[in-house]
Order: sequence, then structure tokens, then C-alpha cells
Amino acid sequence: MALPPADPSDAPTRRTPLVIGLGNDDRGDDAAGLAVVRALGSRTLGAARVLEGPREATGLLDLWTGVERVIVVDAVRSGRPPGTVVRVEVGPHGFPSSVRPSSTHGLSLAEAVGLGISLGAMPRSLVVYGVEAGDFAAGRGLSGPVARGVVEAARRVADELAGAALGAGEG
Amino acid sequence: MAERTIRVDYLARVEGEGALKVRIENGRVEDVELKIFEPPRFFEAFLRGRSYLEAPDITARICGICPVAYQMSSAHAMERALGMTVDGPLRELRRLLYCGEWIESHALHIYLLHAPDFLGYPDAIRLAKDHPEAVAHGLALKKAGNALMQVLGGREIHPINPRVGGFYRVPTRGELEALRPMLSNALGLAEETVRFVAGLDFPDIEEEYEFVALQHPREYPMNEGSVASSRGLHLPVTEFEDVFEEVQVPHSNALQSVRRGAGSYLVGPLARYALNHDRLSPRALSAAHAAGLPPVVRNPYRSIVVRAVEVVYAVEEALRILDAYTPPPAPYVEPPASFHATEGAAITEAPRGMLYHRYRLNADGLIDEAKIVAPTSQNQKRIEDDLRHLVERSLDLDEATLTDACERAIRNHDPCISCATHFLSLDVERR
Repeated sequence: MALPPADPSDAPTRRTPLVIGLGNDDRGDDAAGLAVVRALGSRTLGAARVLEGPREATGLLDLWTGVERVIVVDAVRSGRPPGTVVRVEVGPHGFPSSVRPSSTHGLSLAEAVGLGISLGAMPRSLVVYGVEAGDFAAGRGLSGPVARGVVEAARRVADELAGAALGAGEG
Repeated sequence: MAERTIRVDYLARVEGEGALKVRIENGRVEDVELKIFEPPRFFEAFLRGRSYLEAPDITARICGICPVAYQMSSAHAMERALGMTVDGPLRELRRLLYCGEWIESHALHIYLLHAPDFLGYPDAIRLAKDHPEAVAHGLALKKAGNALMQVLGGREIHPINPRVGGFYRVPTRGELEALRPMLSNALGLAEETVRFVAGLDFPDIEEEYEFVALQHPREYPMNEGSVASSRGLHLPVTEFEDVFEEVQVPHSNALQSVRRGAGSYLVGPLARYALNHDRLSPRALSAAHAAGLPPVVRNPYRSIVVRAVEVVYAVEEALRILDAYTPPPAPYVEPPASFHATEGAAITEAPRGMLYHRYRLNADGLIDEAKIVAPTSQNQKRIEDDLRHLVERSLDLDEATLTDACERAIRNHDPCISCATHFLSLDVERR
């Protein structure tokens, strides 16, 4: 999986929307973010770059620093029914106080956002789509409700990008 | 005050899941238990019946921070079992891959996990707000290590390219040459890191460690050497289990490795440095001198400086290997065509210390028995000893301060709990 970093000197790359899916293929519903970008990969997304994200969060800083518009898709756990899709806008101070993302291993997306804000290594706009996960059992693949959530998340991300492109065209 | 209990239910800034419990009765420390509750992993059991060729790929999955160590120890053990010799450029490429893992793992620990302890921050994010340049240096160093892993390992985490006998594919000169600007820049950042950490405040404490590490006649040890200790041990890797044994303790899912008849010992950067500092590269050695490091460092808090010196070494060594590289005629040494029942053991130096692997193979080349002794298993008892001494010195501290101090003492040794379960929450009980 090649991860070409955004070249900050490359203005067209910075202006191209970037979609990053996170997750672990071997841990059941944790693969939801990867499944969403794979579903998006088969659609026409205009000029958006669609990537399967780095396995560790510090790599996100390299990918998204200076990029104008970034959407990250990841599995989440909030107590909602599995497969529920949530959309969160990450502001200049990080995640909204109502959202407390966490990870038990290594650095989490929330820590990448925290480091990125401290270091001035953030995209201009960052939206996170979360697909509520149910089962993280090793080797199981996506559960039924989460697989349906993946389809919905992919459609919403595509719609958001299309809306952005439309908006840009109109602008 | 009769009984006091200090507890940490979940240790922060360590890899994996563990807890700590300290019981103090009438001003005496009765129990110190580093509890590793991350579930057992059963790797040694499910390696049985698998091909010798699968061991590097399977054992790499034990750790996301030090997969190269697992690949290297398993590959070397298999090669010894099968009488294979891997030398020349292939040996150098393995060393280069290991440099990548040392740089990546040490930079992560120094800047994101350990430095906040010295500067009074709860985590790297808060540290980064006040010291953005330092953290950016750390991330740039880590990236250089990752780049080496990517080129040689096929990907940054859980590399897929190393194999018994060498690699599935070796890099071209051009692919390595492309890494030069990043590594040249990393050398300056690594030296700057030594200056940064040497200026931190260190508690004035020394411990009487028995240091155990590989020792090699010419090199600062990574892949090869014999086992040496600061108390005069010197033995071939094949005799490791005669001298060291793993014991089970009820409070932990990790076995604790001890020296038979002698108790705890310490592996990792402090041990490697104490036994091998004269084999450091010129710039690493001068960075150590400039930082005021004596030839043997017994202050566990100063391990952060030794780690930083090892990063200078690893970057300089990587550049040396890169300069001399000529691709080998074949990417790997062919294993023998036929097998007989055999056995092989190897130790390599993971960032956290010695990693021992031993395999018994049958005549079909399948694994009949596997034994893996991870660095954190070896350090676990010694960390408990450090904690016992710390608590004995600090009985007058209030609960919160003592708890923080205990967590710091653990992080000095960069425990990898996932590997050891093989980790941390603190529970101090006072009576």
C-alpha cells in the first residue's frame, strides 16, 4: 500500500480533496473505514484522492498537512446501534467536546488531531465519518449491520464531495 | 497509618495493557506487583506444526512496534538450525532494516512517551503545544526510521519482505540512495535529540543492575553476538536457557525471566551501552561524551539519553551501510533441499533488549517446539525491583505523587506489554 505524501509545495495536490480510510482488516468491524474507501474507489469521485490510511496515526500528519479538505472514515464505538453512521467536523480546537475518541493501542486518530493542532500540521478542513462497530473479533470480517453502514457512509462521503465540487464550480 | 495501597488500574504511555499494585504495611513495602492483564497470546503453541518458513511472518505479528526483532530472531534461529550462513550484503541489509526499527521505536519512546515525564506534561499533545519543534524533530526522526522499514520491509508495520535466508526482494542501489537526504537530515536531528534530552532534570538515583546484552567483537550488537553480563557472564546463545529461566507469577499473564540462582537482570539500551559503548560509531560516541554519559549508566531515568545516543548510532550505521551497498547476486540464501530433525536458537537486540527464539524442527521442516523470551519478560522482575526501591525511598509522598512516580519508573524501561504477555494499572495498599 503506497502512501504518497502530500507535497506541500504542490498546490494542485493540496487543493485535491483527500479521503482516508482507517482500520484493521483482521479485526472484524474495525475494517469499516477501509471498506468505505474501497467502495469509494470504484466510483467516480472527480479529482478526489482516496487512500487506505497508515497503520499508525502519526502518519496521518504527513498525509493531511496543508491539504484543504480531508475526510477520514473510521470505525467508532459510541453505544449507538452497529452500522450507524455519524459525521463530526473537527474544528480548530479538535473534536467537539461531546466526542471523546480513544484507542487502546498506539496513537489514536484523536491524538493525531491533537498533535496536528499543536504542531500546525492540520488540513484546512477535517471531517470524520464514523461507522459504529459491533464486533472486533479477529478474522471475522464485517458484521451485517456494519456492512450496510459502510454502504451508507460511502454514499454520504460521495455526496459531500460532489456537493463540494458543485460548490467549487459555482464559486 | 497501618496499610496503604497504591493502585494504577491502567498504565498510560506504555505499549499494551497492564496495572501496578504496591502494598505497604507499617511503613514497609510488602508487595510490588507489575500485573500484566493483556491476555496470553499462545504464539509458541500455534507455531507448532507450521513450516519453518512461516515463523518470521507469524512472530512479526507479536508486536506492532518491534516486528523486525521477531523476524530477525526467528530467521536467525532457523538458519542456525539448518546450517545456513547469511553474510555479505544480505547481512548488511538486515542490519539496515534493524536500524530502521531502532530509530522508529526509540524516537516514539523518547519524544511521545518518555519526554513528557521530565517536562511535567501528561502526554505528548500537551508537550507539543509548548515544545512544537522538539516533537516535530521526533516525528521527523520516526519518519526516517519508517522509510527504512518501508523500503526494506515492504511496509512500515509488520514487514512482509524479510525471510529465512534473507529477503524476498532486495532494494536497488537507487532505492537506497533515495533515502540519503532523509537520513542525512535525521543524523542532525538525532544529535539535536541527544542535546535536548541531556538537558533534562534527572532524579539522582542509581540502581545495582546486572546488565545483560549481546556482545560482538566488532559491532554495537543488533543481530549477532554472544550473551554477556556486567557480572562476568559470557556464554553462547545456545546456552541461554541453561543460565536463564522463565518463572510463572500469579499476578501476571507474562512469564518472568530470571537468571537462575541470581534473580532479576536488565536488558535494553542501558545494558547494551554498558557492555558495548566502545563499539559505538564516532559521532554516537562523541554525542555520548558531550551529554556527559559515563561508560556505565546506572540511573534508569537517563535511559532516555542512552536511547538518543543509540538513535545517532543507528542513523550513522544506516548511512555507512547505504554508502557501501552493492546488491547481492541473489535476494536470499537457498535453504537445504532436504531436512533432518534439528534445533536452532538465536538472540537479536530488539529496541527494548534481547529477544530469544528457539525452534525444534522435524524432518519435514515443521516446527515441533517454539520458545520465545521477549525483552519485557526479562525486564519485568527488574522493573518490580526498581519500583520497590522507589517506594521505599518515597513513603512520605502523597498517593497521587507516588503513583505518578511509579508510572515514570516503569516508563524508564519502555516496556512492551503486548510482547510480554504478555501490561499496566497502579494499586498501592498501605497498612
